[in-house]
Amino acid sequence: MAMIDVRELRKSYGDRTAVDGISFDVQDGEIFGILGPNGAGKTTTVECIAGLRHRDDGSITVAGMDPALEGTEFREAVGVQLQESRLPEKQTVAEALQLYASFYERPRDWRELAERLGLLEQRNTYFGRLSGGQKQRLSVALALIGNPRVAILDELTTGLDPAARREVWGLLEDLRGTGVTLLLVSHFMEEAERLCDRVVVIDRGRIIAADTPEGLAAGVAADQRMSFVPSAAVDPASLRALPDVHTATISGDRIAVTGTDNVAAAVIIALHERGIQAARLRVDQPSLDDAFIALTHKDDPAAELRSGAASGSATKTGTDSQNTAGASR
Amino acid sequence: MSATARNLATPTSRIAGQGRAGAMRAMLRSEARLLARNPGVVVWSTVLPVAAAIVLACIPAIRKPSKDLGGLSFFHVYQPILILFAITLLAVQSLPDVLTRYREMGVLKRLRTTPASPALLLFAQLTLTLLVSISCTVLMTVVPALVGASWPQNVAGFVVAYLLAAWALLGLGLLIASLFHNAKVAAGFGTVLFFVVEFFAGLWLQRPNMPDWLRHISDFTPGGAGAQALTDSSVGHWPSALHLIVLAAWGIAMSVASIRLFSWE
Repeated sequence: MAMIDVRELRKSYGDRTAVDGISFDVQDGEIFGILGPNGAGKTTTVECIAGLRHRDDGSITVAGMDPALEGTEFREAVGVQLQESRLPEKQTVAEALQLYASFYERPRDWRELAERLGLLEQRNTYFGRLSGGQKQRLSVALALIGNPRVAILDELTTGLDPAARREVWGLLEDLRGTGVTLLLVSHFMEEAERLCDRVVVIDRGRIIAADTPEGLAAGVAADQRMSFVPSAAVDPASLRALPDVHTATISGDRIAVTGTDNVAAAVIIALHERGIQAARLRVDQPSLDDAFIALTHKDDPAAELRSGAASGSATKTGTDSQNTAGASR
Repeated sequence: MSATARNLATPTSRIAGQGRAGAMRAMLRSEARLLARNPGVVVWSTVLPVAAAIVLACIPAIRKPSKDLGGLSFFHVYQPILILFAITLLAVQSLPDVLTRYREMGVLKRLRTTPASPALLLFAQLTLTLLVSISCTVLMTVVPALVGASWPQNVAGFVVAYLLAAWALLGLGLLIASLFHNAKVAAGFGTVLFFVVEFFAGLWLQRPNMPDWLRHISDFTPGGAGAQALTDSSVGHWPSALHLIVLAAWGIAMSVASIRLFSWE
């Protein structure tokens, strides 16, 4: 049986529908991501799963229990790391871990956990003196101190600098295979790509895609992008004539080209035939980011225009329709 | 409102049912430690009344019965006011400040995700506030007695009056923490309320000198009823039933209202 099973979850605040019929399941030991733009209903969804909010409709089972009952057994089995939750400034790391350990029947050894999360050295440091990354690691530690079967982590790395973010990701990677099922809420695609076995994308309270991160990225068939500095002047129009190329634009001394999976090879060969070399070459695979933009902005013409403008298109005819077809697939 | 009432009710019954004494002890220890590291508010709330009570007790003229105060001494009138000064400041100003801050920080919500309950933190805070104010009261009665003022003549009456007044005022503080979610607003409102409570207790105009109509109003406030019940006990009478009932009624009303209104987030 699935560790987390959500069926047709619905929740409204007044006349605003936050979650509008969401269903998914998470298997034992899986790292599962809930993605979506701000205000999509992610936090409401996980707060219903964590038993902090009462759903209006639908069913939720976590480790065989209904979160709405808020039973002690449920609290023992589920660890939660909340968005923007702080501790008293003058509580030390060790004190916080020991205090929260005292709430559980079978807590983990706090020293072992602190060591694992790289917090042992800071054990006597006040919460107020910890760096952002250390605070988040402590927050993760508090979600795990009760030895839960499921840990729910909401916006774990929001507000962290890139180094601290990587630090927290490394920690979660270490947790893989320890038997804890992780439910991760994020709006960082890179985070989901790196950590999650499967993801769902939520927008306006509904699931708009469910797949592995690679599957999602491949599914949108976004163009491959490349850019380079040519060793001699190149007319972008001549590149657009190539069958694999959709767009070609020049900005400064750099030429940016988008096209099919073969675009990089096609352009290099064409240039080579003219005796031109491509310096400082960059090729980008379509990423989960592209998939995310395509998925969450598909009924929003303004956003499509923006993302179109962002990819810098002096387009030849046919490119637009192809892009749109890809996006709405 | 029913949802918030449920919030408080469900986890409370859980602790009671589980008898999680270990978690309660750990929480009390933790809060006591945090209080010791941030002693500012407590020191500020208690030093002035304790010092004032001791200084007043050292002056013989103040210990003499006075016709202006209906035969009571200045000390007998002021000792209860100062005792109420300390607990009112702790309960109505510092307690809501701490609790709303915990709510703002998300500590109460985080506790809700554990098998313990945020109510544990409320109990720990109420217990510590009461313990600090009891310590102050002991200082304000024992030290003056050692330097020549009289002991409370009716100790049992004094203790009952004190505990009922503490209940009413702590309840008032808890209600402020329920009504206001911003720590600054709660602390500001608490400060204003402190002056109101102390006015009726007689800090500026002693109860024997109040016009009748004002004293009748004062009888029905926690400050006025508390001060009179403590004064009556310290000169050897029993507190009047009216004052004890008024204090108990405030205690019950404040407790019920704050349990219904308090929310964890």
